[in-house]
Amino acid sequence: MLNKIYTLLLLATGSLLLASCEKVIDVDIKTPPNQLVIEGNITDQLDLQTIKITQSVPYTDSNVYPPVQNADVSVTTNDGVVLHFKESTPGNYTFGPYKGIPGKTYTLRVVIETAIYTASSTMPAPVRADSLSIVNLKFGSSLRKIVAVHYQDPETTTNQYRFIMKVNNTLTRRVYADNDRLTNGNNVKEQLFYGSDDDNEELDTNDEVEVEMQCIDNDIFKYWYTLSQQTQNGPGGGVTPGNPPSNINNNSLGYFSAHTTQTKTITVQ
Amino acid sequence: MQKRNSYLTPLLLLITLFCTTPIFAQKRYTISGTVRDAATGETLIGATVKLQGTSGQTAAATNAYGFYSLTGNEGEYEFTVTYTGYTTTTQKVTLDKSIKLNIELQSGSELKEVTINATDRKNENVRSPQMGLDKINMKDLDNIPVIFGEKDVLKTIQLLPGVKSGGEGNTGFFVRGGAADQNLILLDEATVYNSSHLLGFFSTFNADAVKDVGLYKGGMPAQYGGRLSSVLDVKMQDGNNKEFGAEGGIGLIASRLKVEGPIVKNKGSFMISARRTYIDFLLKASPDSATRGNTLNFYDINAKVNYKFDDKNTLFVSGYFGQDNIGIKNLFDNDWGNTTATIRLNHVFNSRLFSNTSLIYNKYSYSIKLLDEDNNADVTSLIRDFNFKEDLQYFSDKHTLRFGLQATHHRIAPSDITTSGSSSFNDLSIENRYGVELATYLSDEWKVTDKLSFLYGLRFSGFSLLGPGTFNTYNADGEVASEATYKSGEFAKSYFNIEPRFSASYSLDDENSIKASYNRNTQNIHILTNANSSSPTDQYVMSSNNIKPELADQVAFGYFKNAANNAYEFSGEVYYKWLQNQIEYKNGAQLIANANVESELIYGSGRAYGFELYAKKTKGRLTGWLSYTLSRTERKFDQLNSGNYFPARQDRTHDLALVGIYNLSKRWTFAANYVYSTGNAVTYPAGKYNIGGLTTYYYTDRNASRMPYTGRLDISATLKGKETKKFKSSWSFGLYNALNRQNPYAINFRDKKDDATRTEAVQISLFGVIPSVTWNFKF
Repeated sequence: MLNKIYTLLLLATGSLLLASCEKVIDVDIKTPPNQLVIEGNITDQLDLQTIKITQSVPYTDSNVYPPVQNADVSVTTNDGVVLHFKESTPGNYTFGPYKGIPGKTYTLRVVIETAIYTASSTMPAPVRADSLSIVNLKFGSSLRKIVAVHYQDPETTTNQYRFIMKVNNTLTRRVYADNDRLTNGNNVKEQLFYGSDDDNEELDTNDEVEVEMQCIDNDIFKYWYTLSQQTQNGPGGGVTPGNPPSNINNNSLGYFSAHTTQTKTITVQ
Repeated sequence: MQKRNSYLTPLLLLITLFCTTPIFAQKRYTISGTVRDAATGETLIGATVKLQGTSGQTAAATNAYGFYSLTGNEGEYEFTVTYTGYTTTTQKVTLDKSIKLNIELQSGSELKEVTINATDRKNENVRSPQMGLDKINMKDLDNIPVIFGEKDVLKTIQLLPGVKSGGEGNTGFFVRGGAADQNLILLDEATVYNSSHLLGFFSTFNADAVKDVGLYKGGMPAQYGGRLSSVLDVKMQDGNNKEFGAEGGIGLIASRLKVEGPIVKNKGSFMISARRTYIDFLLKASPDSATRGNTLNFYDINAKVNYKFDDKNTLFVSGYFGQDNIGIKNLFDNDWGNTTATIRLNHVFNSRLFSNTSLIYNKYSYSIKLLDEDNNADVTSLIRDFNFKEDLQYFSDKHTLRFGLQATHHRIAPSDITTSGSSSFNDLSIENRYGVELATYLSDEWKVTDKLSFLYGLRFSGFSLLGPGTFNTYNADGEVASEATYKSGEFAKSYFNIEPRFSASYSLDDENSIKASYNRNTQNIHILTNANSSSPTDQYVMSSNNIKPELADQVAFGYFKNAANNAYEFSGEVYYKWLQNQIEYKNGAQLIANANVESELIYGSGRAYGFELYAKKTKGRLTGWLSYTLSRTERKFDQLNSGNYFPARQDRTHDLALVGIYNLSKRWTFAANYVYSTGNAVTYPAGKYNIGGLTTYYYTDRNASRMPYTGRLDISATLKGKETKKFKSSWSFGLYNALNRQNPYAINFRDKKDDATRTEAVQISLFGVIPSVTWNFKF
């Protein structure tokens, strides 16, 4: 939250003082070999649980990511139950319907030819999103509408959250992650700052906004938080970007997250 | 007085032992005094004083308070005082006893000549053993074009070789591969922690109030310490001690006013200078009510008084207060600023021993208020120092000794959060940190022969982190490994360092010399920042059980040449710098209001090397300089870039600045500067993949790519109004980025708007062409 203040500050200065302009440029980038990307989620909803395995592509290619087929994918619970995932479509490995249980630790094991990748994640206890609301912010002469999530943070545990926002069924290009370092035990109004930067459209009256609230473990928080910082551009290009810390070993990109999930919707007024 | 002298005897004995005083000498006498501007009574820093006679010759420069002391054999001499931009005075003196002689020089501008700097320029730059020192001529600042027409010390030093700008329109700077927090920035000896206003577009130094600026890029004399890479020593004007005057300027963005005058004529004076931006006055006039509620301004005040009790004792009291305010109505307020106060006593013990005692206070603080009722919070943070300095200068025949003691007490209050009512946030107070720095130093400027001189010394510095507090150590994963609690005043951790400083110059002849220097510097106050410019919310940390003092060793060699009666100055310097215990923070670190902020840090080393060229024309209608730097700056951390060296962000291979000032007539002056620099080293994505439905970038080598180059031409014209004896005025017109080039500020990567299956790189530029006009007056 406090980290967003600086963004606010820049927005304020920007809207009042600076008239920045942008242009598309050619960049010279060397092409690395494709990397393995594993994106695995176990949720507390009775549903098909999915582990997605793809490859990265060079920056200059189109956004089509080759699926990795014929991997041996399994998830083991801390009480020894092994879930064998099946490749339902190329690169998508599914199991279920299955419902993850808060408090349990899940260990992912992916075998691709001779290489083995593992990761584990503990599903936190769920924290309920109470409601969504719309906040009106005035930046300079422009009015911005922002969605806020209201929830009661539990006092006795450390909690980490991730929010995913869809506007009119389109995923927004912002990563939201927060923890209760500064808000422990409070009734929290979490504002999901959002604007026309990051290639997003501004919120308008009658837009349908859907917010998914996830309770995530600390490793996964670090992952999303690092990503969220890189989408903010401070002076001189902001934070030096790097790959977010993955909880999967063996140099795989991506993450394996056991989390709870809940979805709320609101119509912008 | 007698008593104090006897107290000093052991010290003087020590000095005498230290110096190699010839014992066979004839009778020798000393001439000493102060050099001042005839019109204003301002002391002149670095004026050359010279004794020339049949029984020998000797020369020296006035110190920071205009004081000089020369010693020669009994005899008749010509005594000459020269200072850039002033008329040289020469008079006959007879040294048959030690004499006191105060000198007043007429400013060249008083002579109503068309050409500035018409007077003979000294060749101090060639002869002095000091290396890596750049002086800024405050008169040049009036003409050099800058953004918004606000003349600025920090933007002008960025045009010097070895100094890199922190970014477009930005006052942050990097010296010889150092980081932005490795510059010691002093205003009347007080440390200025955050030297920028308005997120870096203006510096805290109001040029009206500044008398002298020296930038040490290397070969720092032993009296300076505490930062690795440079010393920017800014001295405020004392104020006119002969008559009252006022001057100021009205610009597009800010206005300035300075008032000065005698308290007691020729004995004491005051100077007070203030400026304020008024962008928000314009906002208030806006028809849009939302805009009207926003604030965006800064102001600062410099004030100084001095009083000369007698020829031996002068008291100076000076202070600075500045504040920035940015806010959006009903949303947030952000204020930040520096406060400094300096009390100094000059005491001349005798014609050879000069002392300055300083008591200094400085503070930097910020506050952020979130005003939304459900998310209200008031976050404050500060760093505060109390400082005592005793500095003594002893002028002997061939030696100028300088020795002293410095003690500083630091307090850092990292973050205090207070909230009320239904806020989402909790109150939080991060433990204050206390530290003490002690340093003692001794240096000697030794004229070995007419051609060879040394400036060498030692600085012994100690730092202690003090209780009260709980101090954690962390393992590699950033988890608490151990914990220790200390009571108030207990030493939690101490570090001691010896910092040798050495430079030498050898004059090939009057106009050519070679110089070499080595210096070690240490640093115990560190800023945690990853941004190029200084941010108001920079976090300060002290050395601790986790953070070791940063160390830098620098060697430099140079060739210096003057030509055509010192009308042209050339220099070429090469340097190599080794950096140890450098600090970065981990990806995704949470720096604000984090008691375990030290767990987010990683430590590494660095190296920087380069070649600097400087050519300057100081006389004639056309003056100006060319500076060029070829350099490399690298860092190395086990946890980054597979442990290999990578370019620091400010690594720019080529940096070029060309500054020209042309005096067309008595009334018109034109100036232009052109800067070119290689783009910053940045990390571009090498590949991409999909995470959570979003294009996510894959990074390989750190800072392996380059932003496009920056090139910018700024021009200005100054028109002097009709001058009367009482009133002077001028108009300054400027065009920043006159070619309207889009220089890169940041590069963003995103999916193409019209084809979401592709990605594109987008360059963000801040400023196109910006015109400015300022009206300056003086009466």
